[in-house]
Amino acid sequence: MNNFLKITGYTIKDQMRHKSFYVLLGIAILFVLMIRGCYSGEYIVNGKALDNAALALNASKIIFQVISYGMFLMVAMLSMKIFSRDFEDGSMVLYLSRSVLRWQYVSGRIAGTWILCLAFMFILHLTIFLTVWAKTGGVIPGYLTASLICSTNLLFIIICVCILSLFLPDFISAFFTIGLIFVGFVSEGGYQVLNSDLAKTALSSTLNSDPTLWRVLYPKVFMVQAYAGSIISKSEFTGMGIVHPILNLSCYIFIFMVVLLICFNKKEI
Amino acid sequence: MISLDSVTKKFNSHIAVDNISYQIEKGEYFALLGPNGAGKTTIVRMLLGFIKPTSGSIIINGMPVSNPDSRKRIGYLSENHKIPSYLSGLEYLLRHASLIGLSGHDAKEEVGRVLEIMSMKGREKEKASTYSKGMIQRIGLGAAILGKPELLILDEPVTGLDPIGIREVRKILEDLKDDGVTVILNSHLLSEVEKTCTTAGIMYKGKILIKDYINSIVKDEETLEDVFIKFIEKENE
Repeated sequence: MNNFLKITGYTIKDQMRHKSFYVLLGIAILFVLMIRGCYSGEYIVNGKALDNAALALNASKIIFQVISYGMFLMVAMLSMKIFSRDFEDGSMVLYLSRSVLRWQYVSGRIAGTWILCLAFMFILHLTIFLTVWAKTGGVIPGYLTASLICSTNLLFIIICVCILSLFLPDFISAFFTIGLIFVGFVSEGGYQVLNSDLAKTALSSTLNSDPTLWRVLYPKVFMVQAYAGSIISKSEFTGMGIVHPILNLSCYIFIFMVVLLICFNKKEI
Repeated sequence: MISLDSVTKKFNSHIAVDNISYQIEKGEYFALLGPNGAGKTTIVRMLLGFIKPTSGSIIINGMPVSNPDSRKRIGYLSENHKIPSYLSGLEYLLRHASLIGLSGHDAKEEVGRVLEIMSMKGREKEKASTYSKGMIQRIGLGAAILGKPELLILDEPVTGLDPIGIREVRKILEDLKDDGVTVILNSHLLSEVEKTCTTAGIMYKGKILIKDYINSIVKDEETLEDVFIKFIEKENE
């Protein structure tokens, strides 16, 4: 356990040594701050002034999702090289030639990357949260909780990329994982749109509301995002199937982690 | 100290190590010799648990190599040793020290001792990316002797070192003899092996052709190199 914590700490420290980490964080914060202008304007639609608080809430919700999906890309890129870089630069030999168990090494690397990305995403969401507070004087209570909920997706992506990177080239692993998320985006996004009140009213006669089994069992990355969005807007959440998306994703994380540990245990170094 | 019992390692259909059995006693300075592809590095990788034998068993200090505790008192220097370029020599050694259970003052003291031995004092805070191959090798050897290990596994330890560096490594290994450290040395430099080791095994095509005291293998008027070539040529006939 001690080695796991040590490797987690080293991973965070090592990632933070890279200048690119600070450049990315800087660009991301700058991007978020550039959006702050949309909170101070006055918007008039059809001659009626829009409610600033409602507008701020909706804008924040959209930016929340943009940040999260941007983070998915970043996390996939960051995780694809965990093992190959360690192998090339001698870090893997450094750890595994000592009395470090393989699960400690793998879990430490994953936990370190996850904590770092979680903090990165949280800082960006916090920036939006504080901007809304500074500009409108109001707070969005569920915003930061939603950010933490979305970090489940980050963990899923890291583990998924890591498993694939044991068998596939690094970039293909990241690309494949992004593809996996995109399929979920289409499947679950489509389901949500078709189950919206508007679509139900318009298309009730032609809709079959029961999704196929694979769609129910599919990793619910998009649904977790949608659930987080519903926390922000305090709206009702419509899930797919009886299993809550967080439980669905947690099961995948657990299964993928076990598979990763088994595969890495068999890996020849 | 180390026992290999009928160890075989296959990579697909290629047999890298073929039914090898031998023991290395505590305090023994053992040289594993052989041409490229003989299976020396495969044995080292199996000793460290990096790869699993296809059959047979390896025991270190009474523990199977699958048990990470068997590596608790092992120092290892790999062939073409690498240090992450973003770490300094000092950080690299402190990381090793931490992984063997040293912390705080003890770790700093031990790392300081090793830096002194490896003649790396004054350069330890520089990033590994600025080090020469020889300096990386020195830091790597320093990491291997950190915490006074009971067993040292050195895969081509003098590669990249200049004659002075080679002499220093020899001196370090000689000093360790007094502490009862067991050494397994993989090297192509047979003259170096002859000066440092007490026993040697000659490997060829995955098999150990001979394992004995060097002064028993090398007869009068011969060198280890002569004996080595004689054995390989005999196998090739």
